[in-house]
Amino acid sequence: MTVHAPAPSHSALPPISRPPAGMVVGQFVRRVLFYVVIALLTVFFALPMLWLVLAPFDANPHLNITIPHFTLHNFVVVWQNPYAIKSLVNGLILAVGTMILVVVLGAAAAYALSRVRIPGRDALLYVLLLLSSIVTGTAAMVPIFLLMTDLHLINSRLGVVLVLTGGLLPAAIFILKDFMDSTPRSYEESAKVFGASPLQILRHITIPIARPGLATIAVWAMVNAWGNFLVPFILLNNQDLFPSAVVVYTFYTEGGQPQLGLIAAFSLLYSIPVVVAYLVVSRRYGFRFHGGIKS
Amino acid sequence: MADIRLDALTKQYPGGTVAVNGLDLQIADGEFFALLGPSGCGKTTLLRTIAGLENATGGRLLIGGTDHTHTPAGKRDVAMVFQDYALFPHMDVADNIAYPLRIRGLKRADRRAKAAETGAGLGLSGLLERRPGQLSGGQQQRVALARAMACQPSVFLFDEPLSNLDARLRLEARTFLKRLQKELAVTTIFVTHDQAEALAMADRMAVMDAGRIRQVGTPAEVFHRPANTFVANFIGSAPMNLLPSTVHGNSLRVAGRSLPLPDGAPPVADGAAVILGARPEYVTIEPDGPGTLPGAVSIVENLGASALVTVEVTPSGDDPDGADPILVQAMVAEGSEPAPGQRVSVACQRDRALLYDAESGDLLEGEAPAGHPGAGDRATSASGQGR
Repeated sequence: MTVHAPAPSHSALPPISRPPAGMVVGQFVRRVLFYVVIALLTVFFALPMLWLVLAPFDANPHLNITIPHFTLHNFVVVWQNPYAIKSLVNGLILAVGTMILVVVLGAAAAYALSRVRIPGRDALLYVLLLLSSIVTGTAAMVPIFLLMTDLHLINSRLGVVLVLTGGLLPAAIFILKDFMDSTPRSYEESAKVFGASPLQILRHITIPIARPGLATIAVWAMVNAWGNFLVPFILLNNQDLFPSAVVVYTFYTEGGQPQLGLIAAFSLLYSIPVVVAYLVVSRRYGFRFHGGIKS
Repeated sequence: MADIRLDALTKQYPGGTVAVNGLDLQIADGEFFALLGPSGCGKTTLLRTIAGLENATGGRLLIGGTDHTHTPAGKRDVAMVFQDYALFPHMDVADNIAYPLRIRGLKRADRRAKAAETGAGLGLSGLLERRPGQLSGGQQQRVALARAMACQPSVFLFDEPLSNLDARLRLEARTFLKRLQKELAVTTIFVTHDQAEALAMADRMAVMDAGRIRQVGTPAEVFHRPANTFVANFIGSAPMNLLPSTVHGNSLRVAGRSLPLPDGAPPVADGAAVILGARPEYVTIEPDGPGTLPGAVSIVENLGASALVTVEVTPSGDDPDGADPILVQAMVAEGSEPAPGQRVSVACQRDRALLYDAESGDLLEGEAPAGHPGAGDRATSASGQGR
């Protein structure tokens, strides 16, 4: 720090330019503590990621992080496992099925709720949102199991998709309705005056404007269905139908030891669809909405 | 090209609100017609009913002689420009302009060419590839106009076309719109709440209030001879002075003072309560004398080339209800305005002043003085009110 003329008398200078020694030390210690905590937190979150990337290529993986003896053997084990690859396909079927149902039904419901005034609409939405977490949660598993048994939807992919959709729909409707609300009605009315049919309005105006919102909901629904363990675990008992989230639970030796090589390689494969889905949507839409107008 | 006729057109919302109340109106082919009124008077609902976005609950709507009361929107050969322009944010300017042609099934290349041609006419040539979000307000408005023009409709409907523009641009757009309408000669109805806009642009205008038409006429008629006190109050940059008065033989008593009856005033019974209407532009500041109202200047508002002077009239001692002071506003040329507090007298120009019935608020018509046509439109406005 430089001090320009007129130079103050030395007796007045010290209290301004130099804080007491205790304060300096205190500040320094606080800084150090701050970075230590940040570093610990970073390690806490980064280590599993690092393990996920390194362990699959390690000939002898452990629950620690080492420089791997590079091998692709773990992937061969995955390929040879009777359920692993099949489960990835099963998982994709469940995730994509749920995604399509959530997006189509959610968009239709959100559009209707946004455009038609019905009494008690907002209360209905909040109650749905509140209860939705119960549907896919542990609390409702017994009634849902009984319901699915009565409907003969046990051991059926359709049953799992329906339950997952039911759990995700309220939140999807809630988010999409907000999005549709922000799209002025005058867009559709304008097209209508020019002679567009309802179907044309939907194809030319409503869906294209809502597309970023729909894409976001699609990825969110897919990721949720892809990662759900409880619903398929309870509703399916045929191992040929298990999705990846359930199958990874069976990767133990007869002695009860986890097959770390298999689990590691499988986990890496398991994370790929989610990452790809996020990248695609983020690339095309940047998880932004461009509806609405400046007024 | 088409004329428009409304026969007792009514729009009642399910809640019971009557937004448009039995309107009769005739708009000639090629006319630039303004619907003017305060917010919530039903003017936008009427426009939307003509466009087909609202269903009329009674009466008939004829466009070009064909009954379109229940024709769905899009089959009426009308184009509408919305207040927010409603440009599709995901299409570029050319696709926006060409949208009506896309609905008609034109090939993409054809409609892009047509859009470029229409856009060029409105000075949009360099902007065809842009998205609406990248345009200024004035450019967006021209895109919306181009889109309406692209389908070559027989009627244009504009909902508050200038309200989203800033004040300076609004003046330019006003001239531009009027010129464009004259060139295209397409019947145009536009809705506005700004009386200056309506007076400046329209060939004829209707003043609406609470779902009814209060007066129909040319801007000059509506400005010079408002059919009732509502219109008198609504039209004009400063509202008309409306002074409660009583008739005494050949003179009016206002605040206990005597004023001459306006020229061409109809015979009114002695002692009848009337309202004297005089625009501030036609009120002068005079030396004290007979036929003037003395008072003190309370406020002077500078309007640039003129000043609006508010005079608090001193009631005479024998005025029975002289408790309330009467305010009279006068428009005075720049430089000759009196100072606040100064004692002055005001007088109304006899050939411009009007008399209104104190109870109904309707204009008391004598023989319309020469140079003030307007009696011909009374039938239309009267039937609008009569229902």
